[in-house]
Amino acid sequence: MTSHLSRRLAFAFTLPALVAIAPFVAACLYILRFSLSGEQGVIEGFSLTPYYELLTPYFGRSVWITLKLSLIATSVVIVLAVPLALVLVTLQSNLARRLLTVTILLPLILNLLVQAYGWVLLLGPSGVINSTLIALGLTDRPVRLMFNETGVLLGLIQTSLPLAVFPIASSVRSISSEYLEAASSLGATHWRSFRDITLPLLRPGLVAAASIVFAFNASAFAIPLLLGGRRVQMVGLAVRDMISPLFNWSGAAAGGMVLILLTIFVLFASNYLVRKTTARIGT
Amino acid sequence: MKTALLPGRNGGSFTFAIRLLAVIGILVCALPVAIVTIMSFSASEFTGFPPQSFSFRWYQDVWALFTAADASSAQSVSEATLTSITVAVLVMIISTVVCVPLAYVLARSERRVREGMETLFTLPLVFPLVMLGIAFLLMAESLKLELGIWRIVIPHVALVLPFVLRNCLGAMSGIHVEVEEAAVSLGASPARAFWDVVIPMMKPGILAGLIFALIISFNEFTVTFFMYTIDISTLPIWMYSRTVSSLDPATLAISVVIILFDLVLILLVDRLIAGRANLF
Repeated sequence: MTSHLSRRLAFAFTLPALVAIAPFVAACLYILRFSLSGEQGVIEGFSLTPYYELLTPYFGRSVWITLKLSLIATSVVIVLAVPLALVLVTLQSNLARRLLTVTILLPLILNLLVQAYGWVLLLGPSGVINSTLIALGLTDRPVRLMFNETGVLLGLIQTSLPLAVFPIASSVRSISSEYLEAASSLGATHWRSFRDITLPLLRPGLVAAASIVFAFNASAFAIPLLLGGRRVQMVGLAVRDMISPLFNWSGAAAGGMVLILLTIFVLFASNYLVRKTTARIGT
Repeated sequence: MKTALLPGRNGGSFTFAIRLLAVIGILVCALPVAIVTIMSFSASEFTGFPPQSFSFRWYQDVWALFTAADASSAQSVSEATLTSITVAVLVMIISTVVCVPLAYVLARSERRVREGMETLFTLPLVFPLVMLGIAFLLMAESLKLELGIWRIVIPHVALVLPFVLRNCLGAMSGIHVEVEEAAVSLGASPARAFWDVVIPMMKPGILAGLIFALIISFNEFTVTFFMYTIDISTLPIWMYSRTVSSLDPATLAISVVIILFDLVLILLVDRLIAGRANLF
């Protein structure tokens, strides 16, 4: 295939893109190097101190909150994404499908601030939910929904839902309806064929989607910043606090490396799981 | 055709449960946007729900903010918007100009090379945004780089490369070598065959990539949050600094304008790559 493309031309065509991505690669290496620095503010010598200094209850709590919130958000997202994907794929009308696609896609693309404003207006003390609760007489004082874990959790679920729906929808599309027709002709109920046929066939897609959603949520920054009101200190925020008030750059770099390693670990683990499950189905 | 997955009639409790969850999902996706839109038309300063009456006063306020005489101040919204647009346009042009030739070469090269390069150019997508912001900040600050607007453009280019490259590769997948060979055998130079035959055929994919780059850069908050300076800041940063203590309805009106802008662009992309590829 490459025969007609001379090496020099191929190189000339690739070079601009490599130049464009070079700062990214440099930044990644730079932060790795900084996380091993002996000084807090400059790169000086090699030391593991920045990592040792992360072993505080404070940073540990951040990691714990991050893992907890990401795990809950990912579970909820998968429970909501599968029905959405089923509806999206089975919609008959072209217009309805397009509208649904855009509705789901918008939260992924839209400025996170705008979405945070939406949640403030919904969850705030005089927001939609509290006004409704008070009007219905269910409570006489506003319920605290924002600037705590509930608010952050809702924000995470909303912003990461699209990431799950589209991959799951393409897995759903590849399920042959013959299996389900066969099951129903043999007398299986809809619940039974969903549990025994649709879900197992979707499993690789579900694991892949869940891992992307988990990685996305674990590294969330804007949502906890805007909806957590400094009280929900996820790792992203904790790392930023090391830079901004504390000027502990090497510590921030080390904290960031922990976050990156966590993300990479989850992605690899799920990749392994997917390969294992698909291999089993294949045999 | 796919009705067996989700039976319409005779679906019983299964169809009901699935539809109920789907409706909850749609509400979760759409409610924040819907409520921002509704409240931006409220006539009162108070952002409590429900609004007592409706008006366009916040849109007039935004118009006044943009046309005000103090547009020279560092915190002005028109300046931030202008920076946002300049950054987005630069990011769009750079990412497309580098990705089109790359996609062309990758589509014509061995599988191993192609997969390796694709992985390299997908990395920014899986790299945590906060870390990207911090990494670029540490590098720019400790090396004391004077970059001007490129402080924001360079990280944004890295962010959009995965999307632009994927769209360009998608566009290349339908273009076989034979097409070029036909052009060359008719007397065109290889360069001319690339420019006059391949590029026009890639056009929908290139345009989709361009729009993706524009949307992502224009809406980006996290990385920019680390990289902005007093002189160079974007519209999302301006909105953040304005609403850090309380929400004001004028920002909601700006939000609605941004929502409309994004919607139009998404519909355009959807149209360009309709039926040929998935958005994600």
